[in-house]
Order: sequence, then structure tokens, then C-alpha cells
Amino acid sequence: MKLSLSFFALGVILVLLQTTLLHLLPLGPIVPDFVLVLCVYWGLYHPTVGAVLASFLLGYSVDVVSSPILGLNSFAMSVVFLAVHLGSRTIWLHDPMTSAIVVLVASLVKGGTLVLVSSLFLNVESYWVGAAVYMIIEALVAAALAPFVFAFLRRSQVYLERSRVAA
Amino acid sequence: MLSFLRKNQIVLSSFSCLLLSLYILNAAARGQLKNDPIGPVLLWLLRPLQVGTHTLTGWIDDAQSIFSTRAGFQTENERLRKRILQLETERNRLLEAEATYRRLQQLLDLRTQMPPGAVTASIIANSASGWFQSCLLDKGSADGVRKGMAAVTPLGVLGQVISTAARSAKVLLITDPNSGVDVMVQRTRARGIVSGSLEQKTIMKYVKRSEDIQVGDRLITSGLEGVFPKGLMLGTVTNVQKQHLGLFQYVEVTPAVTSSRTEEVLVVNAGAGPAKNQNPPLDKKPLAP
Repeated sequence: MKLSLSFFALGVILVLLQTTLLHLLPLGPIVPDFVLVLCVYWGLYHPTVGAVLASFLLGYSVDVVSSPILGLNSFAMSVVFLAVHLGSRTIWLHDPMTSAIVVLVASLVKGGTLVLVSSLFLNVESYWVGAAVYMIIEALVAAALAPFVFAFLRRSQVYLERSRVAA
Repeated sequence: MLSFLRKNQIVLSSFSCLLLSLYILNAAARGQLKNDPIGPVLLWLLRPLQVGTHTLTGWIDDAQSIFSTRAGFQTENERLRKRILQLETERNRLLEAEATYRRLQQLLDLRTQMPPGAVTASIIANSASGWFQSCLLDKGSADGVRKGMAAVTPLGVLGQVISTAARSAKVLLITDPNSGVDVMVQRTRARGIVSGSLEQKTIMKYVKRSEDIQVGDRLITSGLEGVFPKGLMLGTVTNVQKQHLGLFQYVEVTPAVTSSRTEEVLVVNAGAGPAKNQNPPLDKKPLAP
């Protein structure tokens, strides 16, 4: 529980970063989706009910601060978590390259979900045309970041688990 | 049942979240979500952090802006330096073109005043030795230049053609010791012969002691020797000395034309006929160096 709360706190900080500092990066409209990478990590290495709720809440946080409609990102993050969790049962994931590929696919799933749900609930015409390019670039950026974020989270998890055992 | 729930708790909780999300989405899309219990709390939690981060972002943005502005200034500075260099080059080219135009225009004016058969030529080389004062023209016998013709410029007399080849001609300058031009003082019409010397001075010889010559007097060609048309400017008197003994005065002259600063000349044949205008344009402005 403590680990889930720590990760959730980290997720909130990442949301904060995504809404502020990360906009300074020279990536144009692309903002690195650290929240997605975190959800993928939870789905792979920390699949708990707390992680499910945390994914939902982080998605909801993103909705609160940036979505035109509530529930979009919370739904997408829940889909991503579930897809990664189900996929992790059949795929053995340990090296950084594989994690990058999983994040790439997860990002595309998230993008697809967002577009699909948006088209269903927001009735936006020709949303796919612009969204496709953005989705691919965002997925590539997230995939590039994934190995580093995963390494950091892995170490943090090991550290927290050790400190819990020591306590 | 309990074990099934425990076994599939993650999947079930995920589906629950998905359903909840869909419910929220549906409600929000229909405008039925009046009271959002979580959003305000999240915003309340995030606000101070966002304000702090926004301030930090502002500082970073300012710093980035300062650096980028500086870099922009440097780039702009570099671009402007290149532009200045280009414009300077262009300006020099245009100044040179203007100077050439003025020279050629003056030469053309002079040509209309000269006897027929004048040839325009450029000086392509100067004397290779200090012993002789001469220059080489780019026109020769094939162009109508003959030995004995006069080389003149809008400013005055330069020299006399002493030899020709098919495509070049050698001019003996009036400053050469072997040169001799029959001249007269414009003011008093006193006559003499202007010649060069090895001391790099140009002197007017054979001027009687009784003649009135003053510093600043202008010397023009007399036209009597049949080489130079009459009335061309030759130079200005810069020094006059009357010796105690002797028949003649010592008169130093500064030539009107300096060969090292001359590029184009008009080669004229004084014997071809009378000049159209016996008073060449002596009041022309000096040429740009």
C-alpha cells in the first residue's frame, strides 16, 4: 500500500511536470507522457488493485487539468493498464528494448482509445487525420523515455521494499 | 466466489474503473455531471504545486529567453556583418564604376575637342626603370597609333608616343629628361621648353630673364612643335629663380598629369588637322583616386 501511495504521489508530480516544466522542451506540441510510462510499469511490475486505482486517478487528474471532458484519460489509462497487465501474462519483459516496445504499443493503444472515445462522446469531425501523426510521435517519445523511467522506478521499488523489510 | 474475486481482482477492478470512466464520460458529455467530487480536490492539491512550478517555469523560460535572445543577437550581428561587407564591396565597385565613368566621360569630351583620328587607350604598364619615365599603352599601330602622336588626358599632357607595336605603344612622359614640349605661360604667353630631369623635377627651360613668370602660372602647349595640339594644360609653375648671371630663368613645374594616377589616355595626332577647340576643359574637377 505504501508503495502504491508512493507511486501515486510520484504520478501526481509527473502530472504536474507534464502540465508545466515539460512544455519547455523543444518538442513542439508533444509533451512526454510520463504518466503513461508509469501506468505501463505498474501494469508490468506492480499489478495491484492500488495500481489500478492509481492509474484511474492519474488519468482522472489529467482529465481535470487538461481534458475537454472528464473521464477520457481515466478510461484510456485504465485500458492501458488492463492491456499491459493482460499482455504481461504472456510476454516475459525484462530488457529495456522490450519495455520501450511495450510503451510504444501502450501509447498507441492509449491514443487510439482517446480518439475512439472522443469521436464517440465529443463528435469531433476528421479527428483521426491530425491525431494519427501526433499519436505516433507521442508514442515514439514515450518509448524513448521508457527504459530510463523504468530503471528509475525499478530502483525506487527495490529501495522502498528493502526499507519496508528493514522496518 | 471469494477466491475468484481475489484471483481476478486486478482485472475486475480495472473493468470497474473502465465502467466508472465510461459513466463519467457519458455524464460529462451529456452535461449531467454537476458535482464532481474528485476534480476540485485534485485541483486544490495541485494548485500550490502548479503555482510554484509555474514560477519556476517562468524563471527557466526567462533564462532561456535571455540566452536565445543573446544567441539571436549574435546571429543577427553575424548576418549584419556579412551584409556590411557585401555592401562595402558593392559600394567600392560602384564608386570605381562612377570614377571610371567620369574619366571616360571627360576623355570623350576631350576627344570631341581634339583633331580627328584620336585613339582612346589604357595605360597597361609603367616604366621598369627609374632612369626613364615612360608608360605602355594597350593600343598600337593596328589601332591607328603612330610614333610621334601625343598622349593627353582631360587634365593635360601626358607624353609622346615614341614607339609602337601592333597592339601596344610606348609613351615617353613629359617628366623624362629626354622629353621636350614647347609650352607657353598662359597668362603672359612667355615661351619655353618643358623637360624632365633625373632629380625627378620637371623644369621649364630657355625662359628669358626678362619674362614675367610667377609661381602658380599655368603652362599650356604652344602647338609649335607639331606634336601636341595647342592650348593643352601641361602644368603649374612652382618655383622661379632668376640667377645673377645667365640669359634664362630657372623655372620648376609641377605636371598636371601624373602617370601613376592615370588609367586612360587619348592618343592624338596634332598634324591631322586643327583641334576643334583650342581651349580644352581646364576647369575639370580632379579625378577620384
